[in-house]
Amino acid sequence: MSQRIPLAWLQLRHEKMKLFAAVSGVMVSVVLMWMQLGLLQALFASAIEFHGAVNGELVVIHGQYEYLLRNQPFSSRLLHRILGSPAVQEVYPIYTQPLEWKNPWTGQLRTIQCYGIDTDKPAINLPQLAQQLSLLQHTDAFLYDRKARPGYGPVLEEFARGVTIEPEINRRKMTLVGLTNLGASFGVDGNIIVSHANFLRLVSERTAGHIDFGVIRLKPGADVNELQAQFQAILGTEVDILTRAEFCERELEYWRRATPIGIVFTTGTFVGFFIGFIVVYQILYTDVTTHLPHFATMKAMGFTDGYLFRMVLTQSIHLAFLGFVPGTLIAGLLYTGLRSATLLPLQLEFSRGLFLLAATILMCTISGTLALRKLRTADPADVF
Amino acid sequence: MTSSTAAPIVSGAGINFSFGVGELRKQILFDVEFAIQPGEVVLLMGPSGSGKTTLLTLIAGLRTLQAGQLNVLGHSLAGASRAELLALRRKIGFIFQAHNLLPYLTALQNVQMMFDLHPEVSPAEGRERAVRILEQVGLGERMLYYISKLSGGQRQRVAVARALVCNPEIVLADEPTAALDGASGREVVNLLQSLAREHQRPILMVTHDARVVDIADRIITMQDGRLINDLQATENLTRMSGIHA
Ligand SMILES: Nc1ncnc2c1ncn2[C@@H]1O[C@H](COP(=O)(O)OP(=O)(O)OP(=O)(O)O)[C@@H](O)[C@H]1O
Ligand SMILES: [Mg+2]
Repeated sequence: MSQRIPLAWLQLRHEKMKLFAAVSGVMVSVVLMWMQLGLLQALFASAIEFHGAVNGELVVIHGQYEYLLRNQPFSSRLLHRILGSPAVQEVYPIYTQPLEWKNPWTGQLRTIQCYGIDTDKPAINLPQLAQQLSLLQHTDAFLYDRKARPGYGPVLEEFARGVTIEPEINRRKMTLVGLTNLGASFGVDGNIIVSHANFLRLVSERTAGHIDFGVIRLKPGADVNELQAQFQAILGTEVDILTRAEFCERELEYWRRATPIGIVFTTGTFVGFFIGFIVVYQILYTDVTTHLPHFATMKAMGFTDGYLFRMVLTQSIHLAFLGFVPGTLIAGLLYTGLRSATLLPLQLEFSRGLFLLAATILMCTISGTLALRKLRTADPADVF
Repeated sequence: MTSSTAAPIVSGAGINFSFGVGELRKQILFDVEFAIQPGEVVLLMGPSGSGKTTLLTLIAGLRTLQAGQLNVLGHSLAGASRAELLALRRKIGFIFQAHNLLPYLTALQNVQMMFDLHPEVSPAEGRERAVRILEQVGLGERMLYYISKLSGGQRQRVAVARALVCNPEIVLADEPTAALDGASGREVVNLLQSLAREHQRPILMVTHDARVVDIADRIITMQDGRLINDLQATENLTRMSGIHA
């Protein structure tokens, strides 16, 4: 087969402008789909950056937990009930609360999310957090979020230059001792991490006995689902005990319900698909039309309908690949630009790439299949 | 040249054919009866609109036979399935009035692509045969030219090569010289005749071109959808020269 004439390809590339137009159409469509799905995914991913990073297999939350910014603390004494279980390695209590950050340069107030954690145990799995825990033991020390949105002031630049950063947070002068990564999301522009003791100093209305999350680290080999059910029975109905994945899912559920972004970006993806579909259909249709006498000749000479169909479908698939590759490269460049502009975790994910490639091939083959209807009008009896 | 003892390669009897339905129905062919023997070169002549092309498309299995008997290369076309018609068409070499070559292929590719209908021929052999036949029609130097870069006569020679490269059992041609000047037309017809003779292929050629009648073994003339005479070429030529004298 390899040495036979690649008719489909030769016919496709015969008219360079048309080929260029078709490939551009597919490319635009691919870029659009990457952007829409990427943004959707990144927005959701940013909302659960903390949730996905908790350093344990199970998380205890208040039964009425809605989302990060609407939460009720629960009594930490509940956790004592399961500390004794031989399957439990550690339990990390975490406090969280939105606080007011006063921009030291402009004096403007801005909300920042604060997490209070144990300083001897890394309750959150973040790069370089474990090494910096001891720094947090100092009074009024905090770690600042490298991926915070601008608005808190030129914190990173000044800190890098060795300047001491001492902003007022909740009207208390705090000292920046290091950096971490948590990232901005819908509701949160930036984060800080402090010790339990400093948290309670910062937020006078909070008491030590009431925590926001209890992260449970199990011993290796423990049966997560079985223990989850067992602990839930022990803890009662005031709190929910979730696996890390369920914890993320609970947060996403809120955002899916509360915002139309899922619909907006899914619609955008379909628009991208549709644009590609229309362009490819138009071009294949006119192509079949212009080549109709040639197709009729081939039919007269004994080429089967199937052979000609395969030719047009092969062209669709050529277009799919020719548009997908540059479309993906452009999307990659746009991702890089947007990543630094928005700090959203945009990634050209392989699995999404496969999905989009499949969508592109589907789009082109549907167009091709519709264009094929025109092929039926090629009457071989008209060739003489 | 004609072997009257062998079974005819094409034979038809009682062929009637109409276009349109109801009020608009118009009968084109009336009770046509004819036969072509193996190796024969037959010209189909007659005034415009007399039904020559219609008869040719019936023989080629491009239209459905409505009435009568038509046997082509061992296929009975009355009630033949699409698949059978397709199988028949693959055994026919077609030459059209316009060359009908694919503009996005070179001369060589236009000829070579015919082997997609014959997967039993290896690509290498297909190419070799395509090259050889293009050399035979005098286009050895221009094989890699696109069709738009060839003259009308050269295009029609490519079409001849394409029609013959897969060793068809019969060649059907409809006015292959109509678009060509006298000299090129002559050349194409000569090529067609010599290639067909070489492989003992019969040819059925519709033509208005009186200059090429000398290649014929036999000439069939149609008028108003009927065969008005079917003469051995010698008699016909005598008659024609009588008319022209
Ligand atoms: N597809 C068609 N539908 C209806 N009528 C047709 C069709 N094709 C041909 N005809 C009619 O059939 C008649 C015979 O046509 P045909 O093409 O067989 O003539 P011809 O002998 O080949 O003429 P020419 O020498 O001009 O090519 C003509 O009157 C023509 O108008
Ligand atoms: Mg005609």
